Amino acid sequence: MSYSLTQIMVFVIAYLSGLFAVAHLADSGAISRRITHHPAVYVLSLGVFAGAMATNGVIALAQQYGYNFLLYYMGAVVMFAAAALVLMPLLRLCRVYQLASLADVLTFRFRSPWVGAAITIAMCVTLLPLLALQIQAVAGTVNLLAGDSTVVTTGPERHNQLALFFCIIITAFSILFGTRHRSYQERNTGLVTAIAFESVVKLSALLILMFVALYQVFGGFGGLEHWLTDNPHLGRQLRESVDGDVARTLLLVFFAGAVCMPHIFHMAFAENHDSAEMRAATWGLPLYLLLLALPVLPIAWACLKLGHSVPAEFSSLALGLALESTALSALAFVASLSAASATIIVTTLALANMCLTHLVVPFRLPKTAMNQSLYTQLLWGRRILIPVLILGGYSFYSALGNEQQLTELALVAFAGTLHFLPGLIATPYWPKANRLGLLAGLAGGLSIWFIALLMPLISNFQADALHPLFGALSGVTQNAWAAATLVSIFVNSGLFVLVSLVTRTTKSERVAAEICSMDARARPTKQSLAVVRAADFSTQLAPALGAKTAKSEVDLALEELQFSADEDRPYALRRLRARIEANLSGLLGPAAANRIIESGLPFQPGIDDDGDDLYSMERDIDQAQPRFTGLAADLDDLRRHHRETLDKLPIGACSIGANGELLMWNRSMEQITQIEADRVLGSLLGSIPAPWNQILAGFHAADEDTAPKTEVTTNSTVRWISLHKAAIEEGGKGDTIILVEDITDYEVLESELLHSERLASIGRLAAGVAHEIGNPVTGIACLAQNLEYETDPGEIRHMAQDILKQTARVTRIVESLMNFSHTGSSAGEVELLPANLADCVDEAIHLLSLDRDAKPVSFNNHCDRELLVSADSQRLLQVFVNLLGNARDACDEYGEIHIRARADANHINIDVEDNGCGIPAELQQQVFEPFFTTKDPGVGTGLGLSLVYSIMEDMQGKVMVASPILDGPQPGTRVSLQLDRASYGTSFQT
Amino acid sequence: MYIHRALLLAIGIILVFLPSIAQWLTDSDTAWYRPFQLWFLLVLAAYWNQRSGFSDEL
Repeated sequence: MSYSLTQIMVFVIAYLSGLFAVAHLADSGAISRRITHHPAVYVLSLGVFAGAMATNGVIALAQQYGYNFLLYYMGAVVMFAAAALVLMPLLRLCRVYQLASLADVLTFRFRSPWVGAAITIAMCVTLLPLLALQIQAVAGTVNLLAGDSTVVTTGPERHNQLALFFCIIITAFSILFGTRHRSYQERNTGLVTAIAFESVVKLSALLILMFVALYQVFGGFGGLEHWLTDNPHLGRQLRESVDGDVARTLLLVFFAGAVCMPHIFHMAFAENHDSAEMRAATWGLPLYLLLLALPVLPIAWACLKLGHSVPAEFSSLALGLALESTALSALAFVASLSAASATIIVTTLALANMCLTHLVVPFRLPKTAMNQSLYTQLLWGRRILIPVLILGGYSFYSALGNEQQLTELALVAFAGTLHFLPGLIATPYWPKANRLGLLAGLAGGLSIWFIALLMPLISNFQADALHPLFGALSGVTQNAWAAATLVSIFVNSGLFVLVSLVTRTTKSERVAAEICSMDARARPTKQSLAVVRAADFSTQLAPALGAKTAKSEVDLALEELQFSADEDRPYALRRLRARIEANLSGLLGPAAANRIIESGLPFQPGIDDDGDDLYSMERDIDQAQPRFTGLAADLDDLRRHHRETLDKLPIGACSIGANGELLMWNRSMEQITQIEADRVLGSLLGSIPAPWNQILAGFHAADEDTAPKTEVTTNSTVRWISLHKAAIEEGGKGDTIILVEDITDYEVLESELLHSERLASIGRLAAGVAHEIGNPVTGIACLAQNLEYETDPGEIRHMAQDILKQTARVTRIVESLMNFSHTGSSAGEVELLPANLADCVDEAIHLLSLDRDAKPVSFNNHCDRELLVSADSQRLLQVFVNLLGNARDACDEYGEIHIRARADANHINIDVEDNGCGIPAELQQQVFEPFFTTKDPGVGTGLGLSLVYSIMEDMQGKVMVASPILDGPQPGTRVSLQLDRASYGTSFQT
Repeated sequence: MYIHRALLLAIGIILVFLPSIAQWLTDSDTAWYRPFQLWFLLVLAAYWNQRSGFSDEL
């Protein structure tokens, strides 16, 4: 019973074509996304862990090590069941920084392209036995299936030919699978689905074989139990415990292999960025492996019972051969083929990507041709590397001469990949680890592995002389493999720790270690980029990537971040830079990506701010919504409380970093400025919309900590704000907080009060005004009567002049009153112009003298008639009317009021002194408060001095009060004003 | 560092009881599939553990 070679090869091609069809259907969407993106598909794709070792080699392992064959699965089970310790931090890192391989992770952590290159070369070498294992398993199965077993064992040439043919077919399919996507940024749905399909196929095949073994060979479950009872030596052999150290070594290498093997790493991290799927794998993969391990013993025992002579690693095939069932043989072949093809395809894809990004790109970026994008060149790079790698595996397989057991090859490969575990564990857990330590450890450990384990496989070299030494060093004397493996990993770890401790860890490594540590997120710093607009990024990256690729990458990053091309916020530009670097890392590897970004988009030297980007930090924490516990939860609650307090503060609050970036912008700021926080946070203060950029930037730069009243015009609306600021010295690294108080309502109210007070003043003056106007009107009436009878032209002219004088007097009174009443009925802008001080005082005295009922005090204006002050003359008139009126009220009938002025270089100081009753010291602090009055009810409004204070502030002047100024019962009061000195200037003089 | 208390506790318990478990598994009069039963319990424990959730989303 056998198949012809042609039949088998057609079958192989048909199976792989079916596999490719599955991938194509998944990619094209013909298979529902609900299926292809179901966590179960991801879990099944991780079944790539179980290669030909699981379908073939593990049966031999069970015969050799008894129950310890389960350790092969247990390594992966423990790794995934305890995913929170290693896998989850790795997943986070790979997701954020687009890391697709172990070499990417270690290059990112140890910040050196040499680390990536060393890891890649080492990985290729250590994986050769694994690739050879897969090829040997398929070639051996085909050989058995195609002919007499006695011919098989003596026909290495036929073996090699079959293997070569298989390699050619698998190369073609690997290229088809692996070069469908330009990079590993996106999930290769087709590949994942195809590998999951293969996992289902091999599991189904093995389960069917198990049931056949149970029911056809043993006649049922009870039959197996009886057979085992009849053959007690099998039970003893199964339970015969191997040396504990050997078991531990087996567990250790399989544990390491579950994450360090490139094909598993690729499926676990490069093809998945979702924590939920990883969580499903924590129990899903152990369950899958349980089902896969279950058939091993029944198949092995069935083969023993049937007494077939083929090697143990081909037991499943032997079952079909012994039972003379072509279907069962085909099923066993399918199991081996699916396991081997999945492993070879994914391993070569992962290794090709590693070689490209760590051996080719960092040292020689592809030349960007005009008509060829970088993506195309990278795809071609992979297409070339895949056959080279498979050819390497085949060459290694040929060198072995088909003399090695599959188990031996697997153990050597797993022992080799164990050496990447120290670096991987140190990535999230040991910040002191450095690249020199890693490389020293790898060199030491892998040298021993090469001499003691690999060399004996491919040459006549035997490490027998070393075994006693390794046995003595490791304490394992029964098993040479375990002893060599333990010694090599001890040397690796020891050198890693020792060299890391005695050599210096660079700053970039410390930063990367912090990013990789489990509890830390990426801590962006507030560094400034030389490029100030997102649109300029493409130009900067074009020399390295080519114009087409650079634009494509920048556009992709902008789209992912939902930024526009005219984005200019420093915070946004930093995020864009980081995103482009991450995306390029997925395309070219972290070393090349970092080099391109550092050269194309450097941070500005000299103005770097070491402070953390607090805005980014808080935004990330809020978006992630982590579940803190204990003290961290308390601190987070406290942070949220303070954040809420600041956000809902009824006063506008914004925080500005030392480099002028806005870090906080609360809701009141949004209401006052009509600018949303998202629009300005992370921007430079000077780049926010006008007029707030000038106002806030000017105040931020000013020496004063307070700007009590600032006028702001937005959308033709005038508002007034009051500004206060404080520096955050401790912990804030030069940050500043600015409080913005909207005092528009207060200002409008004050203006209305001013107008009311003025009207009240006019009311008080009304009687006097009427009297003043009445006298000239009476005079005019008399003159008019006389004019009626006067005939002398000279007399008439004289009388007309008198009438004109009287009307001029009336006009002056009316003008004064109108001037006074029109002094800003609304809160208009204060325009400071040169005003004659003495004239203004005279006008005020004149207005007050209109009040006939007032006390006949004496007003004495001593001001120099040439003095000019910088003021709004109408408002200054109001000031003097209020001050002189108050002074008059404070005096008795013999009161004297003196107005004096002194000038210095810049200012004019005006004193208004009276000899009235004075102001008690305890009340002097309150006299400028609104509605404060010492007068009787109905006499004063209490707004006079308050308005004086307000007007003087508007005119950038000062006002002070002093009392007493005289001895005796009338201590008097002095109100001092200070205004800027002014001149008419040259333009006025000409 | 996030402390996965349940996980660390489980590892501690397994370490402490490993000799007893190994003894129980390799008793001569036990069924050949006993390790698989224990394995299945481990799967259930892993399922229960992931349902309670652990966060590393930062």
